[in-house]
Amino acid sequence: MGKVKIKRKSTLIDMTAMSDVTVLLLTFFMLTSTFLQKEPTIVYTPSSVSEEKVPMNNVVTVLVSSADKSGKLDDPTVAEGKLFISFTGDADSTLSSENIRGMMLDEALAIYNEQHKNNPVNLTPAEKAQFRSMNMFGVPFSELKNMLDMSVTERDKFQGNMTDPRVGIPIDGNKNREGRLNDFQVWLKAIYNVAQRINNDQANGLSAEERANLSNLYTALMRKGQGIAVKADKDTPFTTVQMVFDNLQTMKLNKFSLMTALKSEDEPTK
Amino acid sequence: MAQIEQKDGGKKKKGAQKKMAIHVDFTPMVDMNMLLITFFMLCTTMIKSQTLQIVLPTNEEVKKEQQSQAKASEAVTLILDTEYNGDVPKVDPETGKTIHNIYYYEGVADTLFQTSKYLRKEQFIGNVNHEPQGIRKILRDKNKQVMEEYQNLKERWKNKEITKEEFDKLAKKNASDSLKTRPVVVIKPGPNTTYEGLINALDEMNINQISRYSIELPTHTDTVLLKHFEQVNNETIIRPTVRQTTKATAAAAAPAPQQ
Repeated sequence: MGKVKIKRKSTLIDMTAMSDVTVLLLTFFMLTSTFLQKEPTIVYTPSSVSEEKVPMNNVVTVLVSSADKSGKLDDPTVAEGKLFISFTGDADSTLSSENIRGMMLDEALAIYNEQHKNNPVNLTPAEKAQFRSMNMFGVPFSELKNMLDMSVTERDKFQGNMTDPRVGIPIDGNKNREGRLNDFQVWLKAIYNVAQRINNDQANGLSAEERANLSNLYTALMRKGQGIAVKADKDTPFTTVQMVFDNLQTMKLNKFSLMTALKSEDEPTK
Repeated sequence: MAQIEQKDGGKKKKGAQKKMAIHVDFTPMVDMNMLLITFFMLCTTMIKSQTLQIVLPTNEEVKKEQQSQAKASEAVTLILDTEYNGDVPKVDPETGKTIHNIYYYEGVADTLFQTSKYLRKEQFIGNVNHEPQGIRKILRDKNKQVMEEYQNLKERWKNKEITKEEFDKLAKKNASDSLKTRPVVVIKPGPNTTYEGLINALDEMNINQISRYSIELPTHTDTVLLKHFEQVNNETIIRPTVRQTTKATAAAAAPAPQQ
């Protein structure tokens, strides 16, 4: 009887095709990706049927932190209602995010120091440069210098600690636009002033039609109400969010948007 | 594929170099690519968040004469409330969603309780089998004239008779058509309402094409109405604010400072 010879096959698998596929996928992800912006805390926004997208450019995001959900704290509400602001500028370089942040900072410091003549905040150019490169910040003016002197890792850790009383932009019930503003209102006033100024600078020598098409912060803010986006957790009490609304109203920025996730009309709400 | 085979052309020539099959192993390349893909997949946001636009009135005081008064027959007041379980919102075990209640009344507040069942309770149910339910049905019935026209427009848009831009424009015009009877909705989020409750209410305004609405804080009258509702239905609605009670219990639990 003849022996059945088992032919030995090489176990080598040709990976070329696999490599082709992965490179294609990689290209796809690289091209479609927009990187997640670093935020000090995670909030889960409620959902709505509105289909309007969050604008990519010229938007000021106000983040309201939620109560602590890890269950490690005795009082989870300490972490609630801390405010953070981030500025995103135009896509083109003259009014890029960095430049907008710089302008906002200068304006806000001017307003703040005018109101707090006894303990003004003065930043060095290096600290200002740090601020320009930061996406989201949330400290009172008195802590700004301290925070900007930290290294990036230290700063993230500092701002990510919601139980720290030094974190979060102070907000209180001041309702007088001309009076002594709280820190959040100082920033809002700075946003308002800077937007106005950019608009005036740019609008000089433009026709009415061109002016209407200006896609800058001012237009987003005043005309379309897309300039300020409030981002809050779905379980945050309304009273906390109301504080932010109230301050926006006081500072004459009463047209703004709320960030939501998408759901369909047929989806049960209950 | 990766190996390039080279065949010798017939006879071996003397002194010709021995040709080897060139085989490149792509496995490390694939490994690396996979790592990069994982990185990009984790770092990207595919879904962009949506925004809901809102216009609030200024905080500046408005003179009585300048205030526009809504007709009593058109007014609907929604008092929002969220059920709590301790200091976290109560969740419906079936749907996994937070329970929000709406207490609503039509017209001016009837503090004398002349009509029974004046204040009614509803919930955000949304659509069931494409039919509006709960508060959505009530608001839709109130805004019938606008909604009929809106459905027409939607139909025309779906049949490609009008473009999306035209549709948006016409829908906006339709929603603010003063010749139609439209409700004026006052949204009053109670002290225990979560942000989600408010967004749900604003969402209903969008869905039902209600262009006239405002957000206000509940007044004393509303408390009176809710109290009455509690008595009639034997329910507890007015509870101490959740945030205040947690603060109080936390303070009580903390050991008293030693003298």
